[in-house]
Amino acid sequence: MATDKNKHLEEVLTSHKISKEQALLDKHIDKRKEISEALQEKYGSDLYSPFNSGSYAKHTAMNKKFDIDLIAPYKRNAFETLEKMYSSVYDFLYDKYKNEATVKKQKVSIGLEFNTDADGDIVKVDVVPGRELNKDQYPDDNNLNLYVYEQFGKIDKGSDRIKSNIKSQIENVKGHAEKDSVRQIIRLLKVWKFYNGKKPKSFFLELITIKAFDKKTISGDIWDKLKAVMEFIRDEVKSVSLPDPGNSSNDIADTLTDSDKDTLSYDMKRMIERIEEDSDTIKSYYPINEKFPPEDEQKSNNSYGVKTGIGLSVPPVTRFG
Amino acid sequence: MKFVCQHIGLSIVIDDKLVDQLCRLGSDHYPKEYGGLLVGRYVNNNKEVIIEETVLPKKFKSSAFSFERGVEGLRKTLGDLSRRNPSLIYVGEWHTHPDGRPVPSGTDSSALRTIAEHKDVFIKNPLLLIIGLSNTGYELGFYVLYKNEIHSYELEYNQQHKTEINLIEKTYGGK
Ligand SMILES: [Zn+2]
Repeated sequence: MATDKNKHLEEVLTSHKISKEQALLDKHIDKRKEISEALQEKYGSDLYSPFNSGSYAKHTAMNKKFDIDLIAPYKRNAFETLEKMYSSVYDFLYDKYKNEATVKKQKVSIGLEFNTDADGDIVKVDVVPGRELNKDQYPDDNNLNLYVYEQFGKIDKGSDRIKSNIKSQIENVKGHAEKDSVRQIIRLLKVWKFYNGKKPKSFFLELITIKAFDKKTISGDIWDKLKAVMEFIRDEVKSVSLPDPGNSSNDIADTLTDSDKDTLSYDMKRMIERIEEDSDTIKSYYPINEKFPPEDEQKSNNSYGVKTGIGLSVPPVTRFG
Repeated sequence: MKFVCQHIGLSIVIDDKLVDQLCRLGSDHYPKEYGGLLVGRYVNNNKEVIIEETVLPKKFKSSAFSFERGVEGLRKTLGDLSRRNPSLIYVGEWHTHPDGRPVPSGTDSSALRTIAEHKDVFIKNPLLLIIGLSNTGYELGFYVLYKNEIHSYELEYNQQHKTEINLIEKTYGGK
């Protein structure tokens, strides 16, 4: 039977809506606060106030997995090198959390994945250490240098060339995300990325979606829009540049190699073809979050309601048009 | 016939004879609008409503584009119905759209909300049946106010074919 693509995509979005996993979100927020306080205690005046980034702050989160980041902005003179900053933060977090979490070095962050708790939930927080670009300028320009731990895309390991105004990136996405449809498409692409184990970073998907909306006239129903963005990625990913809103000399497109981009373009092409051929395949690319099926679970609780304090219903004078 | 709202998983059952009766009443007042109350009972853990009868207003004002139903005598009639076995209660409203599609107007939607919030109404999800009348037949539209949204119903799939034929064959009024 044919799938109503628009209805399905709405359901995907509903089932991945963040509010439904408020409890899990709260756990993440608590944990992030705890880590933030521990860092402040350890580093004192070498550290400006840590703040959160990641997709939750950008209002585009999907609840299957929270991408919760904690940005730790250090003062210029706190460390001699970015590598020392990164190692110091890693060592500190490893010592503190090794018994309750897996602590691992990631691209520009230190990932903490806490052991499954009593509810079966796993809390993950990425700590991103950054050092202000110019002494005492961080409060004004928000510019941070990050340490690149492992090679990704075209950016070499150990390089310190990502100079990132992380705060203004968030502002930027927030501004665009005013448009509900941009936000919806970003969420859907994140669902695709997550369930299909795909490579592009969320931030890459966000920027390229925003770019697609800038470059093309994207309208119609939700499937039309998603398809238009997928076509843009298919056609443009190899040539597009995605300047980091925080620092235009930094191209987020470089976080993918040329062969990653070929794969992404092909993924989009194939996905569009298959969904157009057989609408049912949309369900495998964009699955509903099983933990929160949008309909059936809720539907089974639905009924014609009766107010408390049962009396005789007598409707008032009513005018219809 | 049975109507289902897939979206919220609730259904409506109404007898063909009652539908015929409502259409005939509507056609008697054509080209002005006409309507009344729907009474029935909730069954199957309140997941289905069976519409059993209509209660017609003693006083009403109507034109080709509006219908205002009065309340005179309603309390007594509804009281009598509630003491029947099985007890029948007020479940919603119906009215016609002469030469129009059976879709709720803005007035219709706000009327449902007003009804649901009224202190003398003890049901949360009033139904609305709109009958689109034309000189060749009629079209039914069932709606419900659920969690402050208007949802529409569709004929249950396996009945659709059969009923569509019935609808085409049906005429109203003197024809
Ligand atoms: Zn109306």
